[in-house]
Amino acid sequence: MTSFTNNIQEFFERLKTLYNVELSEIDSKQFKIIAEPDKILPLLAYLKEIGYSHLSILTCVDWIEQKKFELVYILFNWSNGITFLVSTFIDRDKPVFYTVKDMWPTAEYYERDVHEFFGVEFEGNENCKKPMILELWNDLPPLRKDFDPLKYSKEHYPDREYEKDAIHEARIVRGDIRGDVNG
Amino acid sequence: MSKIDERSVWEKIADQLRSRSMWMLHYCTGCGAVELPPSMTSRFDMERLGMGPMATPRQADIFLITGYLSAKTLRRVIYTYEKMADPKYVIGFGSCTINGGIYYDSYSTINRLDYYIPVDLYIAGCMPRPEAILNAFNQLMEMIRKGEANGWKRYKENYEWYKQNQLRSLGEVIVHDEFHE
Amino acid sequence: MSMGEVKLFFGPNHPGMHGNFSVHMYVEGDVVVKARPVPGFLHRGFEKLMERRLWYQNVALIPRICVPEPDINEACYAMAVEKIAKVEVPERATWIRMLVLELARIANHLWSFGGIGGPIGMYTSMFWSVSDRDKVLDIFEELTGARIYHMYIIPGGVRKDLPTGLEEKISKLMDYLEQRMSEYETFILKNRILHTRLKGIAKIDTETCLKLGVTGIGLRATGIPYDIRKVDPYMFYDKVEFDVPTATEGDAYARISLKPQEIKQSIRIIRQILEKMPSGPVNIKISDGNGLRIRVPKGMAYAKVESTRGEYGYLVVSDGGETPYRVAVRGASYPQGLYGVEHLLPGTRIDDVPIWLDSMGVCAPEIDR
Repeated sequence: MTSFTNNIQEFFERLKTLYNVELSEIDSKQFKIIAEPDKILPLLAYLKEIGYSHLSILTCVDWIEQKKFELVYILFNWSNGITFLVSTFIDRDKPVFYTVKDMWPTAEYYERDVHEFFGVEFEGNENCKKPMILELWNDLPPLRKDFDPLKYSKEHYPDREYEKDAIHEARIVRGDIRGDVNG
Repeated sequence: MSKIDERSVWEKIADQLRSRSMWMLHYCTGCGAVELPPSMTSRFDMERLGMGPMATPRQADIFLITGYLSAKTLRRVIYTYEKMADPKYVIGFGSCTINGGIYYDSYSTINRLDYYIPVDLYIAGCMPRPEAILNAFNQLMEMIRKGEANGWKRYKENYEWYKQNQLRSLGEVIVHDEFHE
Repeated sequence: MSMGEVKLFFGPNHPGMHGNFSVHMYVEGDVVVKARPVPGFLHRGFEKLMERRLWYQNVALIPRICVPEPDINEACYAMAVEKIAKVEVPERATWIRMLVLELARIANHLWSFGGIGGPIGMYTSMFWSVSDRDKVLDIFEELTGARIYHMYIIPGGVRKDLPTGLEEKISKLMDYLEQRMSEYETFILKNRILHTRLKGIAKIDTETCLKLGVTGIGLRATGIPYDIRKVDPYMFYDKVEFDVPTATEGDAYARISLKPQEIKQSIRIIRQILEKMPSGPVNIKISDGNGLRIRVPKGMAYAKVESTRGEYGYLVVSDGGETPYRVAVRGASYPQGLYGVEHLLPGTRIDDVPIWLDSMGVCAPEIDR
């Protein structure tokens, strides 16, 4: 275990000098790497080359206050069981990034997913703008933080209106049961 | 007694017979479908009630909406419902069909099924157990015998209202293919 | 004479279709020329809904992401939250979690036997396996109060300790299932229908699996013993002994024949769990805060488990608030259900499409979320 830890420290130093990344430990077998957007593709290619070849998922986090989208690539190495969360921040107002579908064919669908739910475009993935999960969607991409699903649901899908239960409310007023009178 | 409840003698006899042989459309619209195989197979054995799964909507009598419906599925459900031959009965399965249930604030699922197609019977719960499903089928048979399960007549009578609701929530009720040509 | 291409919608309303999923294809005769997967019928927007609910409230929501095998969701979510909060779960809770996960694995493998019975027209396997699965569900019912959605594993442990007498019931069930598994192998796996319909059908090779990121039985049926329980052991999988069964053919029959072997391994694991499980507390608070309104420190963590279909993972992001900031779900059948359908189905016959979907374990709700 110690040799492995030493190796990984060396490996991290190399990553830092080569790709100028920021590293943090999540637990003993999971690490987060934050890289600049222009370094991501060579970094991913390098990691894939040395064994981190399984792309678990490509996803996105909306940091609305910092006006950034964080793209997260989760890579897994089948031979030593180490997981890397490779992440990068891109501009939220102009969300365009490069595709990785040449490295991982399945990424084509992850990218379509991210485009559908966050509106991030992937250059080189000609299918990424086609709708996949949602049909005839005409609002903001739904996983963005400024999208309110309750409001959308109220506007589009009428709710059942329940009749007022006067006796129930009277019991609440009297203090027999706890509850909301207007609810 | 309104016009919708009136039945001729022949219809009464037909309803008696209909209730003994019900075919359920094999369409797993939501997560409740996971309780259907247990109720179909040896332990709960739905077939002793004279019921069985049926592949095509044109030969099915019961449409079981098993749980939440996303807008995308609702388009297919309306298609399928309109394809089914009269008389047809709809059972709403689980809390999600009644009032949205746990997905009340979801942008993708509808909150109330009977706004789009008529529902004869609801099964409450998430998820309803096979016993509840069998109980509901028994109840539905009873309703058919009494002539109370007339959702299909209501759909015909209030077609404009249903259509307007469908269009309001879905935009269009047309099914496109996935080739994007 | 050429028949020309015909556009065919396979599913969502189709008896051979596994859940609410659809494949649109062009066929020539009965050979698929072009295929496109159509996911999204079961989309409920979980990832958005989870951002709107408290950390503990989400436990009620997440089992619904993968319907046939709900427990893996709870386990992944709980493990990811614990990783962020840097909390150690009590030892007994971890063993109980493993017990639940292995029981769920058995239940889901039995379920997929039922699934394969439909498209190949061998309903015996469906009747057998669904009624055997019900016996596992009865254990779950006694343990958690529900048949399908258990909501049993919570961040910080499990909800309650095992009820008295459940251990004996589980070990009795294990004896029963072990004896059943050899019956399955003789009656189902040696059946001629199964051989004719599954041998050499829906083939995939190791290279394609690794390129696409196919994990689980799909990968192990091509001869690679990759199992997350072995490669990156979570919980106490490094403290129990079990083998990873593999096959080399990579076809549908190889995948199906691995299932009874995996069930046998699960039975072996469960017996060891029942032996090794210590007594003690079964849950701890993962952070301060009153009642259910806990706060989880800032951070991001990915937790994965080996489900019956492959790697199943949750990426949980917290900004230190009362609700998760973002949760992303890696469905195990994402690669084979989407990319696999589009690129590997052309050239096969129409009736092999449901065999691909079933034997690779394509689970529509986890793709749609």
